[in-house]
Amino acid sequence: MSAGARFVVRRLLRGLVTMWFAVTVTFFLLRLLPGDPALAVADPTMTEELRADLLRDYGLDRPLAVQYWEYLTQLAQGNLGVSFRQNQPVLDILLERLPWTLLLAGSALVVTVVLGIPLGVLAATRARGAVDRLIQIGGITGQSLFVPSVGVFLLYVFGVQLGILPIGGAMDDDVYGLAAYGSIAAHLVLPCLSLALVQLGSYVLTLRSTLIDALGEDYCTLARAKGLPNRRVVWRHALRNALLPTTTLVGLQLGFLVGGAVLTESIYAYPGVGRAIFEAVGQLDFPVLQGAFLMLAFAVIVANLLTDLAYGLLDPRVRTS
Amino acid sequence: MTEILEKGTTPAALPPSESVGRQTWQAFRRNPLGLASAAVLLLLGLVALAAPLIADYPSGYGEDVLASPSGAHWFGTDDLGRDVFAQVVWGTRVSIVVGLAASLLAIVIGVLVGVLAAYFRPADLVLGIIVDVSLSLPVLPLMILVAALAGPSVPTLVVVIALFSWPEVARVVRSQGLAVVPMPYVAAAHVVGGSHLWVIRKHVLPGVAPVVAVSVVLTTSRAVLSEAGLSFLGLGDPNSWSWGTILHQAQRSGSLATAWWTTLFPSLAILLLVVATTLLAVAYNDARNPRTR
Repeated sequence: MSAGARFVVRRLLRGLVTMWFAVTVTFFLLRLLPGDPALAVADPTMTEELRADLLRDYGLDRPLAVQYWEYLTQLAQGNLGVSFRQNQPVLDILLERLPWTLLLAGSALVVTVVLGIPLGVLAATRARGAVDRLIQIGGITGQSLFVPSVGVFLLYVFGVQLGILPIGGAMDDDVYGLAAYGSIAAHLVLPCLSLALVQLGSYVLTLRSTLIDALGEDYCTLARAKGLPNRRVVWRHALRNALLPTTTLVGLQLGFLVGGAVLTESIYAYPGVGRAIFEAVGQLDFPVLQGAFLMLAFAVIVANLLTDLAYGLLDPRVRTS
Repeated sequence: MTEILEKGTTPAALPPSESVGRQTWQAFRRNPLGLASAAVLLLLGLVALAAPLIADYPSGYGEDVLASPSGAHWFGTDDLGRDVFAQVVWGTRVSIVVGLAASLLAIVIGVLVGVLAAYFRPADLVLGIIVDVSLSLPVLPLMILVAALAGPSVPTLVVVIALFSWPEVARVVRSQGLAVVPMPYVAAAHVVGGSHLWVIRKHVLPGVAPVVAVSVVLTTSRAVLSEAGLSFLGLGDPNSWSWGTILHQAQRSGSLATAWWTTLFPSLAILLLVVATTLLAVAYNDARNPRTR
């Protein structure tokens, strides 16, 4: 097998192991927690007999290993159970919501990178100067922001006081065609900005330090010695190499990004998976909570896999390491 | 015998640890940002301790509903007329207690796993995979699921947050431990017949102690953010106030966007605590590192 194929197989296996781990943790947490799963399904006034029936219906009277196998096979077929409150398969509910979460998280990621690269370059090329200090302090503060606080602040300023952007939802009901896209974009601005601001700090700080390291490398000294303009050394030589570890960090932080999306969607009533979680918490709808975690974990794992494979194509060092 | 060898294996160039501690403190004292952060944290700690002396416990109903900040109500009142200043003061207590307790629990688990992984190579493979894999999963939705199932309370929050925060600690401790374990003095400690437990206690743990110190600070601030997130979503302890609970109440009542004071002050409190802990960790790292001292 070639090195490239081995790399792809290894990454696929890794993704599978991660998903299996997420599923197994979920299964055992649900079964081992104090509190009878049957209590969660039914009200406490039911008779002992009815409860036994219920346990049998849900297969909860069988040995743990059997239940575990059953759980795995059901999940493999895409069966996430039925919502307690909406009497609808959890998968259907969540699939309807997933595109909005992907749109929100994806656009926030793009904004983070688009704003983060110039800021990181600015800080690294003026290392230890006043601008650098400012960006560093801003980065640390940004890392410390609480997503709902940022969300409420932006909502108050741009939605309530200035009234230039919608305060909630994902689009207006009565628009079609091009206007619909405009409406979606207008509704996306504030949630996306809230999420991007929270991500930006660590992105800029990491890019700054890797870029400073790269600028000290021999190949940059050589490029300067050859008389290349500084701008070209920074953007063409150093940045290319600094972006790789930085983007690896983005991959590692995808889980954090998804957590931020859950909070952001709750603030803006944005109809994604996060908002479904927020509603399910209020209604104690456990199948939806469980399904939402598994679906978000799956999305993160697939995104990680895709970025890893893309790197493998771009950077030969990744393939061989 | 072991005493002598132990002294013998310490290179003469390394000063005894008290003076390293003193040098760190000397450097730290010259950093205004670090001192300011320490002062802020001390102040928040005092507020948490002295909450009953500062404000009455916010409960029941007040007469002024959604009043903006004034002399009588410094931070205004919420939709039931309760004083927001009192909520923030009492919230400091729960937020800090949950943050600290969850962080300490996570540190204990994380250090144990991290040291084991660095010390016993076969364990490293399994533990390493577990840590890697759990770091790449979206933790907040998982915390939400478990907290919702276990029922909201302060102990639930502590355990749930700790349960999903230790892999980060384990990762940091493990990588530092991997640098300490192959050191000649660790090998020498084995040669003189030291048991595994003794070597870990006397040599490996002191070697990873500095990163653990930083970890305590950073894990606490992350735990405070996690607590705020869970409480904001309605999974906080219904019988006590925390900063996230104040935001949750504001969201639930619909005053989130109109009565800015119900959200601004708890938000500022969270920001203050997290920024101060982060800066403290940065300042400590700088002070400890001879190159940046």
